[in-house]
Amino acid sequence: MNAIVVRNLTKYFTPSKKEKKKGRARNPSLESRKQGNNSIIRAVDHIDFEVKNGEIFGFLGPNGAGKTTTIRMLTGILKPTNGEILIFGQNFWNNPIKAKQIMGHVPEEANVYMDLTGLENLSFIGELYGISKKERISRAEQLLKKFELFEKRHLKSKKYSKGMKQRLLLCMALMSNPKILFLDEPTSGLDVQSSIIIKKLIKDYNKNGMTIFMTTHDMDVANEMCDRIAIINRGKLIGLDTPENLKKLKQEYQAVDFYFTKEAKESELENLSSVKEVRKIRDYYHIIVHDLNDGICEIIEYIKSKNLKVKKINTYEPHLEEVFLKMVNGGDDY
Amino acid sequence: MMKIEAIEVKNLSKHFFPSMKERKRIRMQQEGSEKGTKNNIIQAVNNINFSVKQGEIFGFLGPNGAGKTTTIRMLTGVLKPTNGSISIYGGNIWKHPIEVKQILGHVPEEANVYMDLTGMQNLYLIGKLYGLSKSERVNRAEQLLKQFELFEKGNLKAKKYSKGMKQRLLLCMALMSNPKILFLDEPTSGLDVKSSRIIKKLIKEYNENGMTIFITTHDMDVANELCHRIAIINQGKIISLDTPDNLKKLTQEYLAIDCHFIDTVNVNEIKELHSIIEVQQNNSLYHIIVKDINVALIELVDFIKTNDLNVKQVSTNEPKLEDAFLKIIERGVEN
Amino acid sequence: MRISKEVFGVKGSKKLGLTVQLRRAAAIAQKDLRIYYNKPPVIVQGIIFPVILFFTFTIGRKIPTPLLISGLMAMVIFLTATSIGPFVFPWETMRKTFERLITCPVSVKTILFGSMLSSFLFGVIFSLVPLVLGIIFFSLQITINFLIILIAMFLAAFVFSSFSLILSAPPTDMPGNIMIFTLLLKFTILFLSPLFMPIRDHPLAWISPLTYFVDIVNVSLGLESAFGHYGILIDFAILSFFGVFFLFLAFMLHKKTLQKRFRN
Repeated sequence: MNAIVVRNLTKYFTPSKKEKKKGRARNPSLESRKQGNNSIIRAVDHIDFEVKNGEIFGFLGPNGAGKTTTIRMLTGILKPTNGEILIFGQNFWNNPIKAKQIMGHVPEEANVYMDLTGLENLSFIGELYGISKKERISRAEQLLKKFELFEKRHLKSKKYSKGMKQRLLLCMALMSNPKILFLDEPTSGLDVQSSIIIKKLIKDYNKNGMTIFMTTHDMDVANEMCDRIAIINRGKLIGLDTPENLKKLKQEYQAVDFYFTKEAKESELENLSSVKEVRKIRDYYHIIVHDLNDGICEIIEYIKSKNLKVKKINTYEPHLEEVFLKMVNGGDDY
Repeated sequence: MMKIEAIEVKNLSKHFFPSMKERKRIRMQQEGSEKGTKNNIIQAVNNINFSVKQGEIFGFLGPNGAGKTTTIRMLTGVLKPTNGSISIYGGNIWKHPIEVKQILGHVPEEANVYMDLTGMQNLYLIGKLYGLSKSERVNRAEQLLKQFELFEKGNLKAKKYSKGMKQRLLLCMALMSNPKILFLDEPTSGLDVKSSRIIKKLIKEYNENGMTIFITTHDMDVANELCHRIAIINQGKIISLDTPDNLKKLTQEYLAIDCHFIDTVNVNEIKELHSIIEVQQNNSLYHIIVKDINVALIELVDFIKTNDLNVKQVSTNEPKLEDAFLKIIERGVEN
Repeated sequence: MRISKEVFGVKGSKKLGLTVQLRRAAAIAQKDLRIYYNKPPVIVQGIIFPVILFFTFTIGRKIPTPLLISGLMAMVIFLTATSIGPFVFPWETMRKTFERLITCPVSVKTILFGSMLSSFLFGVIFSLVPLVLGIIFFSLQITINFLIILIAMFLAAFVFSSFSLILSAPPTDMPGNIMIFTLLLKFTILFLSPLFMPIRDHPLAWISPLTYFVDIVNVSLGLESAFGHYGILIDFAILSFFGVFFLFLAFMLHKKTLQKRFRN
């Protein structure tokens, strides 16, 4: 069964009177999405997708593409203009409270109660989910230990560092032991250690069966964590596949990067039968080949004969970042 | 004449005296506190020394709360050091604040543009504060807005900007006076791929034209790609300072080549090759530990040819800055 | 050690002298006026309060026209000149734009002076309103000495903009906190001042700097000074003293609290 099914999901924003008067939708990233005379902003525009039970689903897109609007609709904060959302087969808006009971949400901006301690924040959330007092405390303490916050549990959360706040947010989302967890930019602005802790724990929870829906700008995080990735741009879904398949999609050629200990002659390399083209980039040679296996063998033979030495070698693989940029910008080169 | 360093920092320290309330709290949980709390003083930055050369991109890395922002604030004349000296091209920022600040540009971590002014007005204000003439102000603002792809939105109030646009506007503001030294606190944090690429590209360009750049970041790829030298600070102390390549060497314990074969290969056969020490197999990936990359590659190619094998992927195993960073932070406590 | 001219510009000291700092202070004042004139706390304290208080004080009482004008002018100039500063400082500390100003090549005094200038202009502009209204509605009944009134307005705007700097010294980053505190202080001063009544009828009037401004306006509208024959000179002297004293105190307080703004 699919954890989430989204059909035709759409959200239009009508600009305020003031904005209408000024004659334009003021959010620049939305500007091109307004609709002629009515100047309606199409934040999310007829998207369809499924999230399978137990997968980590990545939702990527540039700033202002509609990611947060989508998450807000999926978690019941915003009401869709159109379309339906099924959570484990149940229509979300038929019984939002029941649906929310099995969801956890970590929003982008740290919305903890700054004047409550870590423990109090968790206990409060537990109360809202109707967890008994005893269970609340034991569950909160268990989470705080897991996220390395236990020692700071009696500290007001305004004294927490950014990484600690982010971890507390995750604890809050996990208090109810949700079936689906929504994460909006879980590692943004965090230091390496906090990111590693968070990434590891997300993976752990996923292994134990939790479905995870996450957005991120960090392509390495997306590549490493997500089972499948959807790419949204200007309110429309422009791609949905596994990271591997997305990368393959944009692999237009096969190539090997060679780092030599001294300069090589590009023309001689180009004369090899299996080599198509040689590009010198900074301190390495990007060699495009007809066939990877033959190419490597031939180049190594050539190196042997010329007494060159290889320092490093890398078969070229498109980075998810490049794929993403190509899909979003239609090939703009940055 | 001796060459003057762009920034020279000697014995720099910053201690914060906690408020009464905080003192009470610290006493309550003495063991849990992160920073050294001798006599309840919070030692945010503790006796650090370094110099930044003219024209380099200097990375300043460390975990949240390590003292990075406090250091930048001292270098830019916002916070007064408890101890030690800062020299900017030989000038003391606390003795000649106005002259020294005139050659600095600063992009703080949090977007502190004036939300109620347009992008253009923000730039004009900064131009005025740095004493640019009216024509200079107009030219430079236009040029920067174009360069950072904000020109069309120049007359929009900054509160209507997206996060990436605000960050680019901040950079424009810092560059208005064409500073000799640019301080960047987390320039790419939370930005989408396109915005961070534009920013990285322009940082490089300005540096190539001679600007000295001091940058903090949590993104190890950014640090690796941009910085000439990197200082790592933890708990208020600098625990390492070197080039990214040298830092990475710290974690390189052995040389290895990773191969993906399409066919299954007998591990023992590979092991018999001369320059190969050890082979670990993980599905189709063979992690081959070697004595010498070059010799091993040549041997491997012969091996592939004679056995008529097919490779899908070959790469030399390279240490990552992230691993080096974590290792340095961990061992830093001992040193 | 002298700093290198090569790096910091040959024109160095001359280029960065007093006039330059004044020009930069003007830029800061311009920014304040442009951004903050329409912020709710400024409008409430600078415009709505004076109007409400005016009616509270005057409805149902028979007050001579000069006292009406002088009282209204004093109240408006006091409330408007102190409305921007205490809002701007915590606001900019919160938004981190204060840090931005500090990293610019301007001295702390320049920033303070810029902020003061905006309060000053705000006060002068708004206190012209009751004066003009007074002239329009009552001009046939009284003679007015404009020169003295204008000088007194500038002086009073100076005094109260310095006072607003004092109010903005606490290093908080929550505008709400400081607004409550300043409101309490401001109301106390208003009640200590002889607004819309003869100065002699108010026992504690001498404490408030507003009293002396009211007295000057009263005199230029044809009334007699409450402080004897040379009363107007005494008024100017005491107002100037208040101004210098407030300014000195404000600079001292800001110097003390400045660093505390950058703890977080």
